[in-house]
Amino acid sequence: MKKITRTAFYTVITCGFILYLALPVGAEEIPKAKYPILTTSAGQSPDVTTVNIVCEEAEIKYDYCDVPDIEILSAGVGLAGKESGEGFHSEVHSDLEKFPAGTPYKTMIIAIGASLKGMGASGLTVNDEVNRLKKIIDYCKDNEIFIIGVHVGGVSKRGAQGSDNEKMIDAVAPFTDYLIVTNDSNKDGRFTDIAAEKNIPLTEIEFALNLVEILQQVFTE
Amino acid sequence: MPKQWKIKVILILIVAAAVITAGIQLYNHRHYRMLLTAGPGVTKVHMLSDYCSGLKGTMADTHVFFLKGKEPGGKMLILANTHSNEPASLLAALIFLENAVVEKGTLIIIPQFNNSGGRNTRPGDGYPLYFEIQTSWGTKKFRMGNRDASPLDQWPDPDVYVHYPDKQLLSFLDIRNTNRTWPGRPNGALMEKVTYAAMELMRTEKVDMTVDIHGAETMFPVTNCIVAPEKAIRIATMTSLTLKAREGFDNHVEPSPSGFRGLSHREIGDFSDTLPFLLEAPLPFLDQPTGPKTVKLLLDGKDPFLLSLAKKNKLFVPYDESGWPMENRVGQHCSAVLELLRQFSRKSPDRSIQVKNVPRYAGIVKNGVGYYYHNPATINKKDLYFN
Repeated sequence: MKKITRTAFYTVITCGFILYLALPVGAEEIPKAKYPILTTSAGQSPDVTTVNIVCEEAEIKYDYCDVPDIEILSAGVGLAGKESGEGFHSEVHSDLEKFPAGTPYKTMIIAIGASLKGMGASGLTVNDEVNRLKKIIDYCKDNEIFIIGVHVGGVSKRGAQGSDNEKMIDAVAPFTDYLIVTNDSNKDGRFTDIAAEKNIPLTEIEFALNLVEILQQVFTE
Repeated sequence: MPKQWKIKVILILIVAAAVITAGIQLYNHRHYRMLLTAGPGVTKVHMLSDYCSGLKGTMADTHVFFLKGKEPGGKMLILANTHSNEPASLLAALIFLENAVVEKGTLIIIPQFNNSGGRNTRPGDGYPLYFEIQTSWGTKKFRMGNRDASPLDQWPDPDVYVHYPDKQLLSFLDIRNTNRTWPGRPNGALMEKVTYAAMELMRTEKVDMTVDIHGAETMFPVTNCIVAPEKAIRIATMTSLTLKAREGFDNHVEPSPSGFRGLSHREIGDFSDTLPFLLEAPLPFLDQPTGPKTVKLLLDGKDPFLLSLAKKNKLFVPYDESGWPMENRVGQHCSAVLELLRQFSRKSPDRSIQVKNVPRYAGIVKNGVGYYYHNPATINKKDLYFN
């Protein structure tokens, strides 16, 4: 009997160790989030395109709007039928059978990273963008929309304190419900500090491609 | 003879000697016959003039190699030496040409797309006329060309180049730049005929994707990247993410601007069903604040002035004492092309393209570029093409 107990003990320890090794670097418990999803950008960098493509790769259906305001966000799935035009992009990929137009969003994924070119194309200054983000984040908090902050731009989307990129991080990261960042993006431990201070689950991944498997876990019911 | 006249005659003789010496070198460079070795995968060879008769008999005409697999599938066109002073493109294309065996679908390779540019040089920058790559059987010699076609083949330049069909005003020099003359026209300037012929090739052959391979300055933001328009951005992004995760090098994605006309990554997508991609690898040789433009700089990419600038964060790519060697650039290009093929084939299985025997980044960095070129003495003469 003692032998069986010891074998079981070692088996559990070994399996636990293997599972630990299989977890992404810096991983904590991965929270669950619900459909329908809206993806958007904080800072209008092309990283939101990466997030959208990763969602497609992970077979996660989403709606996308680069500069949603409260009116668009509150309209829910379908983005109130707003179509892309100059300085405004929208895409509707949500499963409309499960979530008909108008269904309130349950999750918003925000790709953090500033691009003056991107903000300029949308007719926004850095302050405009920060103010817009504050409003939609407040709306999400009031309406229990789960916010996932993603930073996969690495060092090119970081900067000195007060720089455009850091302003976007300040505007979004502390108010998220879950943060996913690449090692490169978190070299100085900035996201680790924010996560610890605000008690936000943080997953650090080695490569942006790892986002595929993380998002699959987040949205697996 | 008065003394004054003697001096004049001596000066004229000195100038004539310089002109004749340089002229002979430039003539030899323009007419140097570079060897292209067709590997076991090549199934037929065309000339670009087969797609636009206006190129026939001109220095702009060039070889088009077809590598057709046993199984039907999609088609990819590889363009190299669009800018002939960015030779990692040519070297990567020749690795495909000499080694690739296509199992499914078709590869089409144009190794010297701007053939006239490959016979031009940039004397003001002191470009070397040739460079050599070491192999196990000796050296393989290449002509070093220029960004633009030779004025001997297309002249005169206009005061302002009016792009066709958009009518956007571009630099006068860009009318000889085959990455500003897309989509081209059959009755336009010679370089417009070159790009028109390539468009016709893509349309008639129903090419699924085209990769235009380049090199760019380390001080230029659009470097070390894949440029793609909206319709190709998904494949480009997945390629970029996969290369970083699996092969360890950066190759970020740059969206093709819709307002800047004449570029391959814009016009090919707008004027055909083909998905265009443009690859850029860092090329220190092209940067302006470097030492002399030597073959050594071209091959190893090491320069003390760039190193100093890197320490001041003035470059757009990582740069240290190891420079940016040719094998890294060629390796990046080969891996990027193979990964684009893989990503496209995953998303379009009915049009998939499967290629084997082409090395990836790590292999080329380890073995060097010359390792993958075959000794022409051991190749059947019918597979040797001189251009």
